[in-house]
Amino acid sequence: MKFEKKRASTKQEIPTASMPDIIFMLLLFFMVTTTLRETEVLVDYTLPEAKAIEKIENKRLISYIWVGKDERIQINDSIVKMNEIQNIMYAKRQALPNVIVSLRVDKNTDMGYVTDIQQELRKAYCLRINYSANIKI
Amino acid sequence: MIKKKKLPTADIPTSSMADIAFLLLIFFLVATVIDVDSGIGMTLPEFVEDVETVEVPKDRMAAVLINENGDVLLDGQPISLFQITATLKPRIQSKIDLPSNKKLIVSLKTDRKTVYNAYIQALDQVKEAFFEVRDEYANSKYGKKFDDLDEQEQSDVKAAVPIIISIAEPEKIK
Repeated sequence: MKFEKKRASTKQEIPTASMPDIIFMLLLFFMVTTTLRETEVLVDYTLPEAKAIEKIENKRLISYIWVGKDERIQINDSIVKMNEIQNIMYAKRQALPNVIVSLRVDKNTDMGYVTDIQQELRKAYCLRINYSANIKI
Repeated sequence: MIKKKKLPTADIPTSSMADIAFLLLIFFLVATVIDVDSGIGMTLPEFVEDVETVEVPKDRMAAVLINENGDVLLDGQPISLFQITATLKPRIQSKIDLPSNKKLIVSLKTDRKTVYNAYIQALDQVKEAFFEVRDEYANSKYGKKFDDLDEQEQSDVKAAVPIIISIAEPEKIK
């Protein structure tokens, strides 16, 4: 009697030919969704935390104003003064009529200072604002 | 017999393609910031030189005052920050069936020296109250949460429970 080792007739390798395609698909997904940081934030700030927050659906409409711990204001790539806000924001509104201004204000800033910025925004007719906050868990 | 000349194979070696793709993939994975912008949305009033004052009946208003120490005063009653939601909810609910010009207005007023964080916490509490009322109203009427409703139903709920928050300017330095 002859003993023969029982062998599976199917191949035992995992087909890897399509692996590059799968990886490329993932790669394309990440390339498309990535938004590279446009501006460098020059001020140091910690956002407050809140529960009842909404997400802004359209990222293209957002324009940021940063206010740091040392009460410096940053718009775009530069530090600006309080009395310059109106002109800059008015120009932004001209370019993008339904602009949403996201206020990234440090949590220890005085309200008076924030109100002054809001007054400037009102003068510039940038009326849609968003107090940026982190989610409180 | 003519022997066919063997052609040299012209393959590009593709075995390393997966590695290259992986490398690129890892770069984009690391560089991606999935940074969803979230925050408390508000709409500022238009800027007018001379402000007209409109009398609002007292029962339509809920005045929230925050002083520089972060103490909260709701309609003259000192309460803690975390009670705002619970105190405002029944007041919003009692006005659901009233016409749109009789809904509750929440007025939020701070001092110039109030810390921004305290203001955001209070605003958060007020918004939370409105959102909870909206959710409960949507649940009782449609059996769904507010976020799961379609656009028509959402605008119905929004009409019944509008979020009206007035941000009063802080008083000038005393």
